Amino acid sequence: MADEKKVEDLTYKEASTELELIIRNLESGDMELEESLASYTRGVELLRSLRARLEDAEQKVSVLMKDVDGNDVLEEGEPADTSDALSF
Amino acid sequence: MKGGAVSAWNLTGTVPRARDDGGERDGGALSVSRAVELAASALEAIPQLTVIGEVTGFRGPHARSGHCYFQIKDDSCAVDCIVWRGSYAKRTFDLRDGIQVQFTGSFNLYKATGRMSFVARSFSLAGEGLLRQQVAALAEKLRREGLMDEARRRRIPVFCTRVAVVTSLSGAVIDDVKRTLRRRNPLVELVCVGARVQGEGAAEELVEALGRAAALDPAPDCILLVRGGGSFEDLMTFNDEALARAVAACPVPVVTGIGHEPDTSICDMVSDRRCSTPTAAAESVAPAMADLAEVLAARERRLASAASARVRTASAELDARRDRARRAMSARLDRLSVALDALAARPSLQGPAAIIDRRRTDLMQTSERLASAVERSQERFARELDGVSPRLVRAGQALVAGRRSALASRAAALDALSPLKVLARGYAIAYGPSGVVTSAGQVACGDDLRVRLADGDVRARVEEVACATGPDGGAREGALRP
Repeated sequence: MADEKKVEDLTYKEASTELELIIRNLESGDMELEESLASYTRGVELLRSLRARLEDAEQKVSVLMKDVDGNDVLEEGEPADTSDALSF
Repeated sequence: MKGGAVSAWNLTGTVPRARDDGGERDGGALSVSRAVELAASALEAIPQLTVIGEVTGFRGPHARSGHCYFQIKDDSCAVDCIVWRGSYAKRTFDLRDGIQVQFTGSFNLYKATGRMSFVARSFSLAGEGLLRQQVAALAEKLRREGLMDEARRRRIPVFCTRVAVVTSLSGAVIDDVKRTLRRRNPLVELVCVGARVQGEGAAEELVEALGRAAALDPAPDCILLVRGGGSFEDLMTFNDEALARAVAACPVPVVTGIGHEPDTSICDMVSDRRCSTPTAAAESVAPAMADLAEVLAARERRLASAASARVRTASAELDARRDRARRAMSARLDRLSVALDALAARPSLQGPAAIIDRRRTDLMQTSERLASAVERSQERFARELDGVSPRLVRAGQALVAGRRSALASRAAALDALSPLKVLARGYAIAYGPSGVVTSAGQVACGDDLRVRLADGDVRARVEEVACATGPDGGAREGALRP
């Protein structure tokens, strides 16, 4: 817990993994009470952030292109258009 | 050779026709046998041919003869085909309807019915059939090398958040993948890497694209290698050996979705996960948002219950400790109280005077014992002294009496022996210069002598020495003796 990163700086996967870890530690029941309360607070924070990300998620698409020198560069790409999102 | 065959056919074909025409004009008709004979020899003049066609009407070897009778066709023509039992036995694959096969043999006319057949001495797969056979051989080769071993397949994360898509950027497939993941899970970040998926050089482009996708930084969780449906030939790119090896060797796990069910390419066989379509492949890399939400809800419940359980446990532990502390404290107080009562009940605290009384009594008893002991001791000494005193007196008397009688007898003996008694009878003792004179030789004339008599001494001087022998001498000697 010492190297705790800010919740906003974590990727969804990192946050999700940390949350699972916190829950398992809490479930094991051999944490100090103070530690477990701190874990719980962190868990709630992670949960809130994860849920917000689920609600606000927007697709991110990039395209790997070659620049004039032939080096690979990532360019922002078009996300899928939403016109048929409901038709499926 | 083919050109030769055609010209021979044309030559022999036109001549009889001209004759027929002529015959009709001449009124000279040929018999059927003759006509068939002509046709047969014309056919026999055609050298061995290799013909490609699709097999149709194949019913397997004839039950009795073992020969195969069927047709081969193309878009506009068909011809009967025969494969003799001996030739069919040497086959490398089974004939069946619909496959493109290359037959090598020659035409034959069965005169009894006038039916023309192509008699194939050997045949091999052609077109797609050949391709499929080659693909199957490659698949077997790679399988033997272990590239399809289940153990080689890498685990693909349940939730890939960064995914590279290797496919054509112009086709509908890339949009399909994007739409699928946008709907299913927009948290998945897509990196599209374009490459042609069919035609000359497509395999090389795909190999390069795979390499570029794997080299992305940060690395993707997996690579989707996808392509829409197409003909077998269209999908042949994905049966390319170099591409298959690139998929197997790719440092990032590869998910394939090539064509439609039931298409299976070699890339599918060596990939880490094979999906039947591009859409299925896209869906397989991440869970649906609804599932994620459900997971989160479940975690929220677990988090809450684990935390409250922890607090409950702590509280229960506290209660238990409080009770133990109380019990321990009260037990300790009880023990102290009992000890205190016991101390208070001790006689020293109850009545200190009693101690002094007891000590006094002790002292008195001791003093009495001392007094009586001294008394007894004195009496004993007195008794002992009384006993000893007469014995001492008796011993002393005995001692003196003994000595006295011994002294008396010695005195009597001494008296009896005293030389004075001898002197009293008239004897004298002469003393010379050198003591008692017992021999005449001891003195010389002029020597002073002292003569001891019983009642006194007489001084004398020697005038003469006469030595006597015999009785005189003896007598004199005797006179000197006490």
